[in-house]
Amino acid sequence: MRDYYAQYVTIGIFAIVAAVLVVGTLQLSRLLRPSHPTAEKLTTYESGIDPIGAGWAQTSVRYYVYALLFVIFDVEAVFLFPWATVFESLGTQAFVEMVIFVGILALALLYAIKKRLLEWL
Amino acid sequence: MELTGLVQQSVDWHAIAPELVLAVSAFIVLVADLFLPKEGKWIAMPLAAAGIVATLAAVVSLAGDDRGTFEVAGSATFVVNDFALLFKGLFCVIGLFVLAISFHHFRSGRYYQGEYYFLMLTSLLGGLAMASARDLISIFIAIELISIPAIVMSAMRKGDARSNEAGLKFFLFSVLSSALMLYGMSLIYGLTGSTVLTDIASSIGSIEASSEPVVVLAVFFLLVGFAFKISAVPFHFWAPDTYEGAPSPVAAFLSTASKVGGFVGLLILMFEAFPSVADTWRPLFAILAVATMTVGNLVALRQTQIIRLLAYSGIAQSGYVLVCFALIESGPGAAEANRQALTSAIVYLAIYAVMDAGAFAAAVSFARKGGSYFISDYSGLWRRSPVLATLMAGFLVSLAGTPPMAGAWAKLFVFLATVQAEVYWLAVVMGVNAVIAAWYYLAVVKAMFFDQPDSTEAVEVPYLLRAAMGLAAAALVAVFVYPPLITDLADKAPL
Repeated sequence: MRDYYAQYVTIGIFAIVAAVLVVGTLQLSRLLRPSHPTAEKLTTYESGIDPIGAGWAQTSVRYYVYALLFVIFDVEAVFLFPWATVFESLGTQAFVEMVIFVGILALALLYAIKKRLLEWL
Repeated sequence: MELTGLVQQSVDWHAIAPELVLAVSAFIVLVADLFLPKEGKWIAMPLAAAGIVATLAAVVSLAGDDRGTFEVAGSATFVVNDFALLFKGLFCVIGLFVLAISFHHFRSGRYYQGEYYFLMLTSLLGGLAMASARDLISIFIAIELISIPAIVMSAMRKGDARSNEAGLKFFLFSVLSSALMLYGMSLIYGLTGSTVLTDIASSIGSIEASSEPVVVLAVFFLLVGFAFKISAVPFHFWAPDTYEGAPSPVAAFLSTASKVGGFVGLLILMFEAFPSVADTWRPLFAILAVATMTVGNLVALRQTQIIRLLAYSGIAQSGYVLVCFALIESGPGAAEANRQALTSAIVYLAIYAVMDAGAFAAAVSFARKGGSYFISDYSGLWRRSPVLATLMAGFLVSLAGTPPMAGAWAKLFVFLATVQAEVYWLAVVMGVNAVIAAWYYLAVVKAMFFDQPDSTEAVEVPYLLRAAMGLAAAALVAVFVYPPLITDLADKAPL
């Protein structure tokens, strides 16, 4: 039983080191760096342009559909790459299976097109 | 690069024909809907029905076969035997029945009809796959295939807050239960090193005693996961709200196909993989069964809305099936007793699905025109629409387990199995619960036949619904008169 709990000492030491490292480096850099704040330096960084409006911005719900469609084809790509590398050694059956898989996803795309989800209104 | 581990598998295409046919029909429905004009969208329903009939034909073409395919390390993870075919057939029948209930409901309301029928077929596909699944991964995929389309189906009324609530509650509980189930499965895999049920069954009996708590924990997580799906107390909270908020035909689907799907998964797991360690987990099922029966029945007593009444009655009915799991025995000579428990569970599920779907169909028919979902409005239905009142009474009497309907045999077989396994206290609890249940079912029957109606206007029931309800009632009476119709099928359907 003692041995069992002794294993937690490692985790404890790790936690302490992690905490010291974070707090220590932040404090150290505070000691070393100069501090001359100006209005420009204090503004929120937004890709180098001046930020406009409040932090809460509304996004059109249409992006949601695009995001979903993107995820579908993203996942498709994840399956396609490993399949492509072993395609030759697996033969016709693997080809047919992938055609079915892509076909089902193509149906989803057809559905999206017919429901006019890809038109920007 | 050469992959040495990958071997070309030969797939038994005939064995998976029902699933293939159903999947293809689901896609046909979805694509056809895209090209149908707005006033012709209802054609999706006959298309879906044709798909299910074709699936049923594929199931029948396999009758009597004993096949397996998709082998992992020599054991089939997808089997076709009498058990699987019996439930595949049952799922098809339930599917056709729910289609009949759905048709007028979805045509008259402003619904997305094509999408609905597509989702229903997809969910049904999960049920068919579940009946054949014999490893943890297939079981998990099948249960998710049942649940996920059902979540969207229950949120089908987009503009209605109650329907959204139904979908959200179902979604959250479903995700939670899937997570728990997966955790249990991962523990099982860690213990036995296999996801195939036959391998698990052979190695789990011989694990050392120090791992026994892990077995109990793993089975517990699996059980909790399935308990959500089959709405067993105390994991039932989502069911009444979801049934009430969802479109009523979807509630009928959830209460029959989805619930039977969960039970099939649980039957396969418990009777195939874990009977050798039954001593460790049997009490879990006994507690769950008693709580589910009792709470479901007691809460049902207070309901004023027919869908909620049926929801709680469905919860209580789950309890009777759970009793069969509490009868599983381990050790030599247990096979005969376990077979009887399994048979009574199969018979119960088959009869329950038909009578519950029938009761939902009657509730939907009554609420369509001239009625409502409130039980108080059922007063004097006998004088307004004698046929509908008789059918509704038939289904309720069957649910109560009273002759002359098949529900009586369903309860009796579970009761007999309990007595023969010498678990007398459980039999007593069942008996008491049957009496409590009779009260609220027969209260509706009494209101329909003996109370005065508020209006004399007849309730108009479409022919499709009449035919569906008539067939269901005829089937229930036929099974009551000649029980071998179902018991013979169940008897020769081991896992």
